[in-house]
Amino acid sequence: MSAIDDVAAELARLPGIGKKTATRLTYFLLKQPRSALERLAEAITALGTRVAACSVCGNWSDADPCGICADARRDAGLVCVVEEASDIAAIERSGEYRGVYHVLGGHVSPLDGIGPEDLRIDPLRARVANGGAVREVILATNASLEGEVTATYVRGVLEPHGVKVSRIALGLPVGGDLEYADGLTIARALAARREMGS
Amino acid sequence: MPLVTTPAIILHAFKYSDTSKIVRLATREYGVQSAIAKGASRPKSRFGASLQVLSQGTAHLYFRPTAELQTLSAFDVAEQHPALAHDLGRYAAASALAELMLRCAPSEPHLALFDFVGAQLDHLATVPPQRVATAALAGLWAMVTALGFAPTVSACVRDGRALDEGAVGFSVPDGGFLCARCTRERTTTVLEGPDRRALEQLLAGSDELPAGWTSRHAAAHRRLLARFIEHHLAEGHPLKALAFWETAAWNGTS
Repeated sequence: MSAIDDVAAELARLPGIGKKTATRLTYFLLKQPRSALERLAEAITALGTRVAACSVCGNWSDADPCGICADARRDAGLVCVVEEASDIAAIERSGEYRGVYHVLGGHVSPLDGIGPEDLRIDPLRARVANGGAVREVILATNASLEGEVTATYVRGVLEPHGVKVSRIALGLPVGGDLEYADGLTIARALAARREMGS
Repeated sequence: MPLVTTPAIILHAFKYSDTSKIVRLATREYGVQSAIAKGASRPKSRFGASLQVLSQGTAHLYFRPTAELQTLSAFDVAEQHPALAHDLGRYAAASALAELMLRCAPSEPHLALFDFVGAQLDHLATVPPQRVATAALAGLWAMVTALGFAPTVSACVRDGRALDEGAVGFSVPDGGFLCARCTRERTTTVLEGPDRRALEQLLAGSDELPAGWTSRHAAAHRRLLARFIEHHLAEGHPLKALAFWETAAWNGTS
């Protein structure tokens, strides 16, 4: 195989990239200056050599503990549990959350052979049990059946430790029209309604 | 490609590319089908929250009999079983049931099997907590029976002789109870009187708690059923959800 085929084959393994797009990207790269190609290659290599999971929360980071866990301005007593490290970026984009995180690394899915023992639940239990610094755990797993069952299981694991466990609210998206929302989302929104303050 | 509408159960769903999902459906009229739900992961997808695993409803498919992957146009949810998510035992049993349908059901439509799976999901979602384990066992044995692999428990499976009262040998490879003579010649799991009666009760479809039933009995019955399925139905393929349900690993870690 030629170098062109090699690069195209590797690119085609990325999510959302088909053979055609991989070939197009490869020919785009061929037109770039050598320095740009070297920077790209070095950046990709650094992912494997410098980035690792944070030993505290499981987030990907090139420092251990990661920037969020090491930030003294953040509330270490509030832990938001997410399925994947990429979910942290989504919550951080809100700019509203000042606690820390815990990445489970997926959700319980018997059909895929993923049980609770395959997730980072024991480190979460140890984190909560360790010295009682954690006041509240927010379960921010996905609003799917798998996400719900994972949240239910984690709640059961944390219950004996006496920590407050909450679940993120599920319902209508901000800016969305009620008219276009599906029945299940509306049902969830109604179930999670709250009294309005005066 | 014609648009067809059929009652369906979502047995499995997984992401495909950035915005789409592939669902494995048990359909009433077209058997087990795979279908792509284009754009299902987009925030404003027309599928909304409908493509949840174990959901029951009506699938609208662009259907071509020879295609391996159909196109899902819409899925109208009738029942989503949120109660299954509140108990890992229920969820594990429902997943094992879905897996049996997915891996072991015949490819052609099987109306009775489809209706049975739907009814079992309803039952697992609503059965009282203390009967989840027996409901799961009864449901999975009934599924095995519906697939044509019912174990023989009325007489010796090898020579047809009448069985003695009390303890009896169960041979997984032979597929049922053995008489005293055959038991001496074969490797069997010996079921004492109460366990034998419990198995007969489960095979009759009852999820009433047998007398003296404990979690140890439940574990032994799960093991026996899982071995039976692996031997007769799995054809060497790993059944992950069945293994998950059988080991009930969540009980040890919670």
